[in-house]
Amino acid sequence: MEYVIKPLAKKAVMWHLITTAIVILLMMVFGVMMLLNQGELISISPELFYKIMTAHGIGMIGIASLGGLAIMWYFLSKYLPLNPKVLVANFIMFLLGVVSVLIGIFGFNFSDGWTFLYPLPSQSAQFGGPAGALFFLSGILLLGVGFLVIYGYVAYHLTRVYGGLHKSLGWDYILGKKTGYGPPPAAVASTMVVICNSTAILAGAVVIIASILNILNPAIVIDPLLAKHLTYAFGHIFANCTIYMAVIAVYEGLSKATNRPWKSNKVFFIAWNFSTIFTLMIYTHHLLMDFAVPKWMLIVGQVFSYANGLPVMVVTAYGALLIVYRSGIKWKFWSLLFFLSMFGWLSGAIPAIIDATIVVNHIMHNTKWVPGHFHMYMGMGVITMIFGFMSYFNHQEGKVKENSWDLFSIVLYFTFFLGLCGSFLYAGRISVPRRWAEHLPEWVFSDQIGAFCGVLIICASLIFTIRFFMGIKSAGSQENSDLTKIA
Amino acid sequence: MVKKFPIGWGTLEILEVTVGGDKMYQQIAWTVTLFLVFLIALAFSFVYGESKRLNEYGPIQKKGYKIRKYYFIGILAVMAIISAVTLTRLPYHHEAAAEDYKSVDVEGIQFAWNMSEDKFVVGEPIEFRVTSTDVTHGFGLYDENLQLIAQTQAMPGYTNSVYHTFDKPGKYQILCMEYCSVGHHIMVKEIIVTDSERGNE
Ligand code: HEM
Ligand SMILES: [Cu+2]
Ligand SMILES: [Cu+2]
Repeated sequence: MEYVIKPLAKKAVMWHLITTAIVILLMMVFGVMMLLNQGELISISPELFYKIMTAHGIGMIGIASLGGLAIMWYFLSKYLPLNPKVLVANFIMFLLGVVSVLIGIFGFNFSDGWTFLYPLPSQSAQFGGPAGALFFLSGILLLGVGFLVIYGYVAYHLTRVYGGLHKSLGWDYILGKKTGYGPPPAAVASTMVVICNSTAILAGAVVIIASILNILNPAIVIDPLLAKHLTYAFGHIFANCTIYMAVIAVYEGLSKATNRPWKSNKVFFIAWNFSTIFTLMIYTHHLLMDFAVPKWMLIVGQVFSYANGLPVMVVTAYGALLIVYRSGIKWKFWSLLFFLSMFGWLSGAIPAIIDATIVVNHIMHNTKWVPGHFHMYMGMGVITMIFGFMSYFNHQEGKVKENSWDLFSIVLYFTFFLGLCGSFLYAGRISVPRRWAEHLPEWVFSDQIGAFCGVLIICASLIFTIRFFMGIKSAGSQENSDLTKIA
Repeated sequence: MVKKFPIGWGTLEILEVTVGGDKMYQQIAWTVTLFLVFLIALAFSFVYGESKRLNEYGPIQKKGYKIRKYYFIGILAVMAIISAVTLTRLPYHHEAAAEDYKSVDVEGIQFAWNMSEDKFVVGEPIEFRVTSTDVTHGFGLYDENLQLIAQTQAMPGYTNSVYHTFDKPGKYQILCMEYCSVGHHIMVKEIIVTDSERGNE
């Protein structure tokens, strides 16, 4: 049975997308500012640089999550009777959290990075006062709680409709109790995200609360290595889940564009079950240079990081290629972006896997190689899916005409995003450490290339955004939108 | 310097020799990434090129799933081989030779490196015992060409050992590899490696 998406849900999704578009642009400007400074083309103080870096990191991760959530909610609403007020509540929590984070960073000089590695926030609080860290950390906590509520709510409905999270992850099909097609990919992906991200947020909440307590009363301490485990269990999983939410748009969009089914079968379920397990356990690849961690855990970090590449390589991206192959597709702006997003995701998996190799990590950990790989699957993967979805949304809910800017802006975006990631990876290849406000002369060239690419990425994103805003004016006016048709 | 590892496979030892040991990992990582991303781009271009033709999906799926089986086994095999090779040479522990190492205490502190010694001699096996007294830093050992040759985390409450034997004299540097607040990028220390005990020039 399929539901009609409610007008309030459409509105809420629209506001999520509008916010997302604006924040992405703003954060990209921050990104270029960092590169201009590292490339010695402008000069900002290290204090400001690190504030911008903190804002860019948390801003991009947060907004990718918000955009991903909008996608998840929009499609899930077809299959589950979701009450859009919950989404609106999360949106308000999100905005409150963002305000708190911004006050922490720009009002009270918090600059300890979006990963706020304990005991750095309390150390900084001793000198600069506790307000910055307290605003920042409680802001993140607020964001987390908002998402947690959403996930709990979605889990409740998944359970009601499918009989349990193990059922919406297709265990009946894997165990051979049922054959054929199971729950829709949107439900499967959402189940994975609910499980992984709830775990992530709980881990994050523990370390945030411990940090806050430590700031308020330095006698309360937590082991730094344990704190790092929790921090990366949060950061790694949370960042990764953005893509598992956003990919729902690719499943639904490409299947619609090609008029071919993209449904869940046994292999599909196996892939998503593995993604769930691997995403939960491979955060240890962030601790490969913490020699105090038990060796077996680090080996697990390497081996399962490799394995985590398999579901996307063998099932998801491969499935995207298969569904498009000789489909007679008439390319639209959004379908092309969905297709290319799989290229971005898959490409990003390569340097990620290489860096998860312990011997390589030994000389590449915390070099620019690291932002190199995640800008690939975030920028050319998740963000591309979100931009694609903005246009898809307009097509479904409003009126838009394709025009020649579309192809131009896509080519612009991908060419220069490849350039940006290439400049980061190259910097990693020549051992440039990440998160350095000022660079040595030997490194500056790669930053300048990156800055140049960044400017053109912003141009392309600006075109995407303008097109989205122009289209959205008519959103909701379209009576025969797809979802209404079903009713 | 070419290190020998007990892999037991002639071909892999040859590979070992041609790539010249662990300092070449950056080059390998870069080349492999470029090559594979290029392959992926080719695959996507090919499918894009074929996308406007229309064939029935059923047979495409059938053939696609067949190809996928080999593709899957291929990737799995490559991953297994790489794991087998790389997991035999972890940087974590050098138990057997532990006594022969000269031990050097390294302490990270906002924003400097304190070291019990900062002059070393070529060929002398060294154990850097790295820790921190405030926040987490990252001990990154850079050679004269500004290439990162070894690292570990400098975490308060823990001591991590990095083992290294310098094979060339020169000025090396310790750079901070873990963000540790606004002075992160000024946390640089120079160390000197000379040819023999006496030669300081
Ligand atoms: C125009 C596009 C972009 C530019 C120019 C840019 C630039 C940068 C730069 C220069 C850094 C710091 C590198 C360093 O460590 O030295 C950075 C870090 C980062 N970027 Fe971006 N970026 C862009 C887009 C994105 C996107 C789309 C995302 C994710 C959705 C993203 C997420 C991050 C994250 C999470 C960090 C880590 C921050 C940290 O190290 O604390 N960026 N970016
Ligand atoms: Cu990770
Ligand atoms: Cu540092």
